Amino acid sequence: MTRVHQVTGVAGPHDAVTGQLLAYQEVLRGWGFDGGMHAVRVAPDAPAGITPLSQLAVGPDDLVLIHYSGWITGMAEVFDLPQRKALVYHNITPAKYFWSVHPEVAVICEVGRDKLPALVEASKAVAGVSSYNAAELREAGAGDPRVVPIVADPARLARDVVEPGAADPLVLAVGRLAPHKRPDLVIRAFALYQRLHEPRARLLYAGPAQNPPYLARLQQLVREVGATNVRLAGALDDDELGRAYAQASVMLSLSEHEGFCIPLLEAFHADVPVIARPCGGMPEVGGDAVLWAEDGDVAVAAELLHLAVTDDELRAELVRRGRSRAQEFAPERVSHAVRELIDAALA
Amino acid sequence: MTQPEDAIQKARAAAAAASPAGELAQSFEHDIAGDAPSDELLQEWAVISVDPERVYSTRRLGAPLTFVKRVFLRLMRQYTAELEAQQTRFNLAVLGRLRELERRRGE
Repeated sequence: MTRVHQVTGVAGPHDAVTGQLLAYQEVLRGWGFDGGMHAVRVAPDAPAGITPLSQLAVGPDDLVLIHYSGWITGMAEVFDLPQRKALVYHNITPAKYFWSVHPEVAVICEVGRDKLPALVEASKAVAGVSSYNAAELREAGAGDPRVVPIVADPARLARDVVEPGAADPLVLAVGRLAPHKRPDLVIRAFALYQRLHEPRARLLYAGPAQNPPYLARLQQLVREVGATNVRLAGALDDDELGRAYAQASVMLSLSEHEGFCIPLLEAFHADVPVIARPCGGMPEVGGDAVLWAEDGDVAVAAELLHLAVTDDELRAELVRRGRSRAQEFAPERVSHAVRELIDAALA
Repeated sequence: MTQPEDAIQKARAAAAAASPAGELAQSFEHDIAGDAPSDELLQEWAVISVDPERVYSTRRLGAPLTFVKRVFLRLMRQYTAELEAQQTRFNLAVLGRLRELERRRGE
């Protein structure tokens, strides 16, 4: 039987694309497709089962499914394979965010965007994880890119029961501490909210830092703006993250670039109101269930925090809408789109 | 009750009334450089000098590994310094040529 092998550039812990390899693998196995998971670079603490690209053993009738989010030297050999290929585009952050902070990543992004047209041309079926991503594929030469949303199951997170009002307000931010996600603005908005409205408020930022120097800059910023009760916690495991959502009063994201944004779905699942910027693929995921901070002003974001924490009816409405949005992206629904992509590539 | 659609207007009004000044209220676009780096930034980038702090372990308890990596880096310093110097030599030569071309184009 035809096997479906998944390939990506880098596999590591707490990485959204790596998570998709694992989620797809489960879905593919359910349909009877065998095949491995491979990455050009496999971090020492990457999830089990993902092996180096050098171990890819692909038969003539097999399908190679490429999860693409940047160019890693060594991926060219995937381009050159004669087998059928399908592309899932997870988006590539514009390099401008990384030139000063992490030049190596900037190069991965810059070259990654340059190589996208060639990868589109080499693939029999292509998909973006959002319409936003699909539009970029169209610009790269794809005739009719599909939209295959992220396969995410927030139910994996622990759901603790926390008594409402039991503690001081907790603002939760989830995602990598990376320049395009603008953790600096989250810190500024929180500091303003704390100063103007709730001195005892807490900020928990869950996500690994881009690198230690960038983390140090953010820690310095926390001190400069005088914010207290701030915890830049690093990556949390599923149990810890589930507890964080359970305790959160509101989730805040001021990211400027997202191909999809899984934390939105996690917050909806945990009944946590969300404030975010309408950037990239976020509006199609969040829909009407998010308070969109569309202004270029952290003062407005701080006031939105105050509203989302104190207005119980507003919170209830956001939670109701969030549950509905989460249903739209339920894994069983999204897996149909995955199947259609696979079938198109194998046709 | 505030409808989600009305929240942004309410927040804007409250923010305008509070008018917080200074560092905290910087605009969203403040910290990100444009797509084209300035001349000064190019000059800065041309001179390669890698901070040893950039060498670290990504593992959760990676402090001992970070230490070992930095020891190796120190042992290899003679080589990496030469690498940095040769790359810097090339970068500065190219940058000089670029500026010369721009000067000629402006004449």
